[in-house]
Amino acid sequence: MREGLIKMKILDVFKYALSGIRVRKLRTFLTTLGVIIGITGIVALLSLGEGFRIEMTGQFEQGFSLNTLTVTPGGGFMGFGGGDDEFYLLVNDTETIDEVEGVNIALAIISKQVSISSNNITRSVSVVGVNFTQYSEIYGSTFLAENGSIPFSPANDTIILGAGIADPWNNGTLFASVGDKINITWATGPILNPITKSYIANVSTILKEIGGFGLGGPSDNQIYIPITTAQEFFDTEQCNQIIIQLIDSNQETIDSVTSEIEKLYDDKVSVISPTALLSTISGMFSIIELFLVAISGIALLVAGIGIMNIMIVSVLERTREIGILKSLGMKDRNVLTIFLGEASLIGLLGGVLGIALGWGVSNVISLFLSVFMSGGVGGGFDTGQQQAMALSITPILTPTILFLAFAFSLVVCILFGLYPARRASKLNPVEALRYE
Amino acid sequence: MKDTNLDLLKNDSIEKSYVVETQDLKKTYLMGKVIVHALRGIDLKIEEGDFIAITGPSGCGKSTFLNLIGALDKPSNGKVYIDGADVSTLKGNQLANLRRKVGFVFQFFNLIQKLNARKNVELPLAIMGVNNKKRRKEAEELLRIVGLGDRINHRPTELSGGEQQRVAIARALTGNPRFLLLDEPTGNIDSKTAQEIVTLLKKLNEEKGITIILATHDQNITNEAKKIIHLIDGRIEHTNFERGVN
Repeated sequence: MREGLIKMKILDVFKYALSGIRVRKLRTFLTTLGVIIGITGIVALLSLGEGFRIEMTGQFEQGFSLNTLTVTPGGGFMGFGGGDDEFYLLVNDTETIDEVEGVNIALAIISKQVSISSNNITRSVSVVGVNFTQYSEIYGSTFLAENGSIPFSPANDTIILGAGIADPWNNGTLFASVGDKINITWATGPILNPITKSYIANVSTILKEIGGFGLGGPSDNQIYIPITTAQEFFDTEQCNQIIIQLIDSNQETIDSVTSEIEKLYDDKVSVISPTALLSTISGMFSIIELFLVAISGIALLVAGIGIMNIMIVSVLERTREIGILKSLGMKDRNVLTIFLGEASLIGLLGGVLGIALGWGVSNVISLFLSVFMSGGVGGGFDTGQQQAMALSITPILTPTILFLAFAFSLVVCILFGLYPARRASKLNPVEALRYE
Repeated sequence: MKDTNLDLLKNDSIEKSYVVETQDLKKTYLMGKVIVHALRGIDLKIEEGDFIAITGPSGCGKSTFLNLIGALDKPSNGKVYIDGADVSTLKGNQLANLRRKVGFVFQFFNLIQKLNARKNVELPLAIMGVNNKKRRKEAEELLRIVGLGDRINHRPTELSGGEQQRVAIARALTGNPRFLLLDEPTGNIDSKTAQEIVTLLKKLNEEKGITIILATHDQNITNEAKKIIHLIDGRIEHTNFERGVN
């Protein structure tokens, strides 16, 4: 007798657990599916969240203009709600705002949704009417020419294209290049019977790729025309927003200018700093993320209960088998390990598949977001805010996320497998053998 | 009652060491609300090399007795010594280790369906932590001994009742057990196959000196056994072996 040496090898315990899983493939797969869904959700969300955070950091590091403010009509947040429909900001309001202490430059922006066509391709884009000189002074790090140069005394038909407009498919097939002529068409009036206006513009410049969200500043998916052309073409004195460059980025300057302008317009405008906008967006995103993680958590909880249920049934079904194992001298501890082993194999499998699937899903979501948010909306947000909505998030899978997802899936499986496994290990061998 | 005979036997327990020894062994359990006295006091000593058949009507306590001397269950009263160790003082793990000294064979074979014959025989060795190579060798050797050398990779569902019982016997023989316990080993197979099993058991007993204790209704087995114990109502009604008075 090899007494003292009687100790089943852990590898053999796991092999035995695996053989149990192999004979019940479908059931194991269905049990695992719950885990896969939960982990998929968590991985997709965390990797998108991580991508978003990196994007945000990049935004700040990119020389984000902290000393700017955006004035839009309407007292509510980002122009939604609480606004007075009869109130408009005018292009020459910049003169009034220029007078406010702490303001360096005040710049009016007219933005509209138009369609542009070149080489028989027509696209719907948002056009920004702006003073190029002041615009490049405020956004010196992003309003930069890739081809041609920023014209400081532009002709009326000058047009500057964002990198995403010039090279929409990102493969060298250009929509237009410097020197090309583009037809710009604007539709106004009733939707069913619109009045259309158009003119031919001359591409002077293609911008460098900016990336990111283009918060308040230039973005890749816009075109730029001189403000005077915009006023004339759209036949308006109203502007969508006024961008202010402050003399510095101190909080006191931001606060004093903000309250001064709000007072000036009797609280009919909202003054937003890009930092505030960014933190608002990030806050919103965090809440959405938290909410969705909670849903994934619930999915995992349900999966856990499923595992427990399946394992209790499995223990019941295999009562006789457990009796046999015990009559052959298997220790309670080993019986426990076999069932926990089965549970953790489900967790392992669910974790691996969930991570892979989650990575796929997050990439699909990211693709969807970038297509939907950049241009696809088609005039849905024609208030200038669409600039802030040009989201593009690249999901990122960090080792921490991998570890968390994996650990979580294992912990859930083992936790819910513990009760049935204990039940199995405590079975009385005589009664177990008698079980039909 | 022949209790006096057994008392005589008890006296020489000091000199001789027994594979199994029971003293006033009692087992009661609750079946619903009814207390069942399965065993009402069994005193028995089993020597190395014995071939004992336990007979008696259904419900006389045969299986309960086998479970107790196989360390699967604990007595309500009295003592069981297996290889000199008092079962009632042992805890879970020690009990599990003790079961490795016993080779159990059941009426319904109790093989693990998802494992093939070799893996079934290897299982007790795996539980003991014997390495792959050694246990494979031992399992194949034992399957040859029980006459299943050509059936090594078959699953229980691909084997006949007699073959399954041989696998069960091979499994019971792994790791050199002190004795084999067989509960109605031929109860679920045809008489021709049963005869083969009996022959095998006899061979194991005579050639390898393996101690065999079995519970049976089968006259063929009873005829081959060296000793017979007849149980009625949880007591030894009579034995056929020399105990001074019988």
